[in-house]
Amino acid sequence: MSKKKSADSIEEKLKRLETITSTLEDSEITLEDSIELFEEGAKLSKECFSILEKAELKITTLKKDLDKINNQVED
Amino acid sequence: MSEVREQIFSVSEITKSIKFILESTFEKISIEGEISNFKAHGSGHWYFNLKDEGAVINCTMWRGVNNYVFFSPEDGMKVTVTGRITVYPPRGSYQVDVRSMKPAGLGELQAAFERLKRKLFDEGLFDDEYKKQIPSYPKKIGLVTAADGAAIKDMISVAERRFPLTELVIAPTKVQGAGAAENIVENIKRLNHLTGIDVIILARGGGSIEDLWAFNEEIVARAIFNSKIPIITGVGHEVDFTIADFVSDLRAPTPSVAMELATPNIDDLKTFIKDSYSLSCELIEENLNNYKDEAEQFLQSYSYRFPLEKINKFNQTLDYEILKLKNLIEKKSTLLSNKINLLTSTLDSHNIEKSLKKGFALIKQNAKFVTRRENYNSNKPAVIKFFDGELEIK
Repeated sequence: MSKKKSADSIEEKLKRLETITSTLEDSEITLEDSIELFEEGAKLSKECFSILEKAELKITTLKKDLDKINNQVED
Repeated sequence: MSEVREQIFSVSEITKSIKFILESTFEKISIEGEISNFKAHGSGHWYFNLKDEGAVINCTMWRGVNNYVFFSPEDGMKVTVTGRITVYPPRGSYQVDVRSMKPAGLGELQAAFERLKRKLFDEGLFDDEYKKQIPSYPKKIGLVTAADGAAIKDMISVAERRFPLTELVIAPTKVQGAGAAENIVENIKRLNHLTGIDVIILARGGGSIEDLWAFNEEIVARAIFNSKIPIITGVGHEVDFTIADFVSDLRAPTPSVAMELATPNIDDLKTFIKDSYSLSCELIEENLNNYKDEAEQFLQSYSYRFPLEKINKFNQTLDYEILKLKNLIEKKSTLLSNKINLLTSTLDSHNIEKSLKKGFALIKQNAKFVTRRENYNSNKPAVIKFFDGELEIK
């Protein structure tokens, strides 16, 4: 059982997806596990896809003065 | 003897004359020579000599003025300075008050470039072992580049197209001319103080060797080397190689390519997800089929058929035994019924009525049949029973 949460980064999600497919490729896996993994993978694929679809580029600009830098650091 | 009266000057008087003559004659001159004894003083002033094979001249370049020099002068560099001659009476010395300085030729910059490259190479700043890994999925990308211009626009559109999941943190930077190197260094440091910046892109669009010179400055090279965050450089065009490129963790030929190297392609990611999904669909189907086949094979296997056969065999034996038992019971019951018949017929043959019918008679005394002579009492009355009735004898 994996405890993957939606808080994971896209990188972790994609890695998990890769692990799932390679585990499914393993012929030693039990039927029960393979079905569970498949379900997780299907859910994860959907999640990743919607993250990518919804993504919007964010742009911030550093200000010249040092106070702003400190604020940025705290952000 | 000479009639001419010699004029006697005081030291101050003659120095004043020299000062006047020199300063008015050489008000604006350009001199070419090789730098030696270069010293950048803490106060911000520069002190150095210019020399050639036959002579040396002292030079000063004041703080504020030297800000406009786009490169860092160093000993051995051939430069052309423009300025005026000044005389300093307390020391009795003259010097050039330098207003501007440029390399004596492009070859000089090239030579300075090669010298610095050699030096930093020897120090190991370009070594592969110091190259940091560029993260594949950056959450935040720091941009050290000019806030206006084509380079930043190109980079933003590349990021938008390839990986809009990221955040661009732009540090507007002077990338050309005097003070550019210092500004680059400052902004690399600033981004290093922020949290969560995964990679920095140091970029500038194309330009002449003078335009790109800030990227060949030693302080920039060291700031790149000391950055904890990996740095990708994208300076100028394909053909331009700067010192910054050698020391950076990854060199891109242009700013756009630098952004491409910093970001994964969203289309590739989508394809990867789709492929993973369809692959796992195939795999799960295959897996299910395998299990199904296996189950079927198992059911058809000898070990599974054998117990059935055994049961069948057992059933057969059971049937046989039951049949045997049945036969036995039947035989016994026939035997018994025969016996019963025999007995019944024996009984029949003893039937009194039949004997009476034949003509025999029975004698009864005291309601009992008298079957022997000795049992007969002649003093008592008797009854003779015939087939057709009884006769009393008194």
